[in-house]
Amino acid sequence: MSSDHISTRVNSARLPDFVGKTVRLACKPIQLNGDMAIVQASDGGEVTIRAMKPDINTEDGYLEVVGNVLDATTIKMLSYTILGQDLDMKLVNDTIELIHDPRFYTRMFA
Amino acid sequence: MSQSDYYANGGGGFIQGGSPFSASGSPGGARKESSHSLRPLTIAQVIKATQAHTDAEWMVDDAEVGQVTLVGHVISIQPQATNCVYWIDDGTGRIEARHWVDSSSEEDTGKWGGIDESMCVRVTGSLKTFGQKRYVNATHIRASQDPHEIYFHILESIAVTLMIDRGPPSGSGAIGIGSTLADTNTSAYTSQSRPTATDQFSHLPPLQRSIARFILQQPSTDEGIHVAAIARAIGTAGDAQKISDALDKLMDEGLVYSTIDDSHFNIST
Repeated sequence: MSSDHISTRVNSARLPDFVGKTVRLACKPIQLNGDMAIVQASDGGEVTIRAMKPDINTEDGYLEVVGNVLDATTIKMLSYTILGQDLDMKLVNDTIELIHDPRFYTRMFA
Repeated sequence: MSQSDYYANGGGGFIQGGSPFSASGSPGGARKESSHSLRPLTIAQVIKATQAHTDAEWMVDDAEVGQVTLVGHVISIQPQATNCVYWIDDGTGRIEARHWVDSSSEEDTGKWGGIDESMCVRVTGSLKTFGQKRYVNATHIRASQDPHEIYFHILESIAVTLMIDRGPPSGSGAIGIGSTLADTNTSAYTSQSRPTATDQFSHLPPLQRSIARFILQQPSTDEGIHVAAIARAIGTAGDAQKISDALDKLMDEGLVYSTIDDSHFNIST
């Protein structure tokens, strides 16, 4: 029905499985450079964000980036949500690992 | 099933009266129970939900669902004359949430105001179809302030799905298909197999749980229970280390304390 609107929550380790698809990445910006940014995902891995919106700055804290996966380490941003300064990234990462657990992924998240 | 199919097949009267699952055929009014329950779901689960006919209960993985609660981002808001349509996206799919507007009620403005596009919201309501379209008839929508609520909701949806599969985390075995969380306590299946299936220790790992229950079952004395008696009763193949570790954990959590010496334990109630 709405299978074309799936944007799975991922960490950096799951990105290679989602090249060409839309994902949601909870992350913290480390380095902003114009429309490029380097962010840290919930599993600690670094991901390059392209087409970064210019109004984002490091003081926004954690972000959820929605975008297309270009390759295993790059996402082209479509939109974003600010998640604030206090986010338990371990909880986020544990949740993401459960989402991708074969017991739940096709049944509940895709 | 589309609406036209439904009416072409002889109307609601035939289906209601002829269904083997209605009124007389339904065991113990299970259908009524589930219609009062509230289940956290992902939108993908809602999209996968099935309904045998337009009057039937919604089913998710062979379990009836009553009300549902979702957490996701608002993609768009379309105010209409009698209702307001919110498109909700939680990353697993998209679905419409419809709120029927009562413009004369002031309470509604407070309850429904302040929802904007791109906000994260929690939607509570029941599943409906209109033609081929599936939507949530929302009884409540509120903004979700804490970003953790998104992750909480995912984890809660997983936990509830597992509990419906397996029964509550007491190891009391499978509950009847179609039982909901609300009625597991009173279900004929669980009450027979283990009366203490859902007590205050249900959340503990199995070994700690059996130790806590064993101590609780013993006659209450000041000196408590000797560790050897616990080991005999639990009988984990004489693995004293495991029992000792479990007792340490129970003490850390304040559920059990040592009494006259390091070998006697009692339960804090």
